[in-house]
Amino acid sequence: MAEGEATQERKKRKTATEAASRISSMVKAAIGGTVKAKQEGKKLAYTFICCSYDEIIRAMDIVPVWTENYAGICAVKRDVNRFLERAESLGFSRSLCTYALCGLGFDHMREELGEMPPNPPWGGQARPDVMLSSGQILCDPRNKWYQAAQQFMPDVPIYNVGLPWPLYEDDIELAEVTDYYIKYIIRELRGLVGFLEEQMGRKMDYDRLSELVALSERTWDLMWETYELRRAVPTPMDTGDAMNTMVPEAFMMGTQEAYDFYLDLNKELKEKIARKEGVVENEKYRLLWGGGLPSWFALTDFNYFNSKGAVFPVETTYRLIEPMVRLGIPDTNDPIERLAWRWFKYWTYWYDKARKRPGSEPDVERLIQYIEDYQIDGIVMHEAFSCRTWHLGLIWQLNQLKKIYRPIPILHLGRKMARETPSLILESDIVDMSSYSEPETRSKIDAFIETLESVKSHQTA
Amino acid sequence: MAEETQKGLSEVERLYRDYGVRTRELKNQGERIIAYFCAFVPLEIIAAAGFVPLRIRGDVNEPITKGDVELETIACPYVRSSFDVALKGRYGFCDGLILPHSCDSIARTYSVWRYVLGFPYSHFVNLPHTANSSSMEFFKEEIKMFKKSLERFAKKEISDGDLARYITLYNENRKKVKALYELRKQDPPLISGSEMTKILVAGLSLPVQEANDLFDQLLEEIKKREATKKKLPRVMIVGSTVDNHDFISLVEESGASVVVDSLCIGTREFWPETQLTADPLDGIVDRYLGRINCPRTYIERKKGDTYQDDLERRFGDIGMFVRDYNVDGVVLYMYKYCDPFGFEIPARKAYVDSLNVPVLYLEDEYLSGTTGRLRTRIQAFLEMIE
Repeated sequence: MAEGEATQERKKRKTATEAASRISSMVKAAIGGTVKAKQEGKKLAYTFICCSYDEIIRAMDIVPVWTENYAGICAVKRDVNRFLERAESLGFSRSLCTYALCGLGFDHMREELGEMPPNPPWGGQARPDVMLSSGQILCDPRNKWYQAAQQFMPDVPIYNVGLPWPLYEDDIELAEVTDYYIKYIIRELRGLVGFLEEQMGRKMDYDRLSELVALSERTWDLMWETYELRRAVPTPMDTGDAMNTMVPEAFMMGTQEAYDFYLDLNKELKEKIARKEGVVENEKYRLLWGGGLPSWFALTDFNYFNSKGAVFPVETTYRLIEPMVRLGIPDTNDPIERLAWRWFKYWTYWYDKARKRPGSEPDVERLIQYIEDYQIDGIVMHEAFSCRTWHLGLIWQLNQLKKIYRPIPILHLGRKMARETPSLILESDIVDMSSYSEPETRSKIDAFIETLESVKSHQTA
Repeated sequence: MAEETQKGLSEVERLYRDYGVRTRELKNQGERIIAYFCAFVPLEIIAAAGFVPLRIRGDVNEPITKGDVELETIACPYVRSSFDVALKGRYGFCDGLILPHSCDSIARTYSVWRYVLGFPYSHFVNLPHTANSSSMEFFKEEIKMFKKSLERFAKKEISDGDLARYITLYNENRKKVKALYELRKQDPPLISGSEMTKILVAGLSLPVQEANDLFDQLLEEIKKREATKKKLPRVMIVGSTVDNHDFISLVEESGASVVVDSLCIGTREFWPETQLTADPLDGIVDRYLGRINCPRTYIERKKGDTYQDDLERRFGDIGMFVRDYNVDGVVLYMYKYCDPFGFEIPARKAYVDSLNVPVLYLEDEYLSGTTGRLRTRIQAFLEMIE
């Protein structure tokens, strides 16, 4: 290590909700659980969050190992450099996805030593029995990471699940492409089941799978309803906490624990709202976290925003749910078909809305809806240098928003003006701390707060 | 006489230096031009719809200035440069734009391209990442959708006969490129690597029949050359997209002959032909998803294969070219922020090592100013080979 690095671990971020403060121990237990499961002879799968097949993995009694998440944990613990440097020494460019680099560096060390690297964050990442890649429309690393890992784990088989969705096009109605996308996703998911059955030597229990899919769908609805409570003024929970409370949605779908977590959170938020208890005492600015993964090693920046009276009642990041009833999934008792439809319908959810506003696009339309629903004063995004998947197109979204969205005309000095929604793009990385400067980041935040203040003053005037 | 023997190469130089000059002329004559990106857009369909396809290039000599106002600097530098020159109007005369699902840097910026540049027509061809039977079936539907979209814009139905005609013409084009590459097998080669790059780039800016005529002329001219050059280390370049001669020239000026490549623009896209199938779309699907060996398409490891078998399946083309072109050293040439290739570098190095051929890995930024700093490393590598 890097022994010294552990001492660099930062003070924990202050959470607004009790539920969010529990997440750390839940994640620690889950990661420790994978190591223990390996020792007990259970089968483990390397996999990625929000890939629509969590329930398949769990129904097959396979323990998921969320490799991106483990890299995030290493970042939170400020123990990533030794793994990034190892990956770099193998020939991987430091400009690639740093989740993947951290994971590859860790795995290489573990394979070389024949045991966990010394003092691994939260017990380490256990060796998998299978690796489930994901060939989506976005995220090249999800398509390539495990193939790269096979160089030092050649005995661990991979199944790469094709999970596309169509990009938004002006001249093509969604209905024209839906059938063949759904058919393909269903075939890919069935292929995954076949692969896992062969590898595990046991058959899928489809009744159990149906139960888990139904449980996930109830969890989606509950989570959505709970997050909608954050519309309240003052907001009872902000994005700082949401970067914790995404854990059950991302890593525990298809478990009762995830459902129960959102039940508790729901109750807690309602109680806070009844008491008019906000994230901050004097809520001055309501911000939208409009894109980008956070710097996992610098989550206290959310507290810094809070210290200026700024809160984030809503975020696009990790809010990968919509209420089931709005998705319009056709009736089917086949759990694989439901998973396919849920995937497709979620990713195309904003398409119809975008079509109604000239120049709009699904990503922009989503920003507009959140601005209106959550009474947003400004937008903050984060551009992580190593991730093209979620961090390209952010500038364009903000530019397009300015072009097409004129929400609230205001009178200023006798002239009719459009309300501006100020925006800020922070720059750093998801796990690579060398890209981050706290003074620089905070000075950008200070300047942004001043802009918000100035806009507010004009509005008041 | 000397002018006559250089006529084809002079034309190449003109087309390369003033890229798109011929398509601009054609546009003025009433033709319609479609700009496209990368190797995965089926050119046969564009041409069969009555358009002239024009490959989008970046410009290593043009600093990125305007592009960064609309596009993050974390995009692959080749995509950034291409977007920047497009924003400066280089492709402003085109009637449409087609991007394929090659990688995140292209897919994630599709909206930026189409809205900021405002082409009358745009389309995204969604290639799946895997090439199994269900992916092939899906991709055929996606290609049918692309064809339908283009037909709507062209106001013209694309017949199987049109497709078959252009499949044949593009296959001829690919065969002629292979014939030109044949001239690099002898030692010293009859044609340099930088000349070859210029020829391929020039060809991509022409209607296919005109490119074929130009290639015929070049074949005739170059075959008449006398190889007088001193024998130099024979180098292969492996990487993603190289659409300019600068890097190739740098390697050659450093004392090597670049004799073959695994690149776009290069063998990766010119080697696979499109089979003329009963339904022409089947051959197109098979070529673009199943035969273009780019790391963006996941090649499944077959049951029972060892890891070395897997490497052979993925990188066997490198081994084939090393043997066929008598290669002394391989340069892996990558751009920063290229995830599909970047995650393959250690495996590619291991594969080339297994061939007992020296390998050099270089990371660059698609800017001529940065390419020069690689000179010392290239020279050291060539000295080691010699």
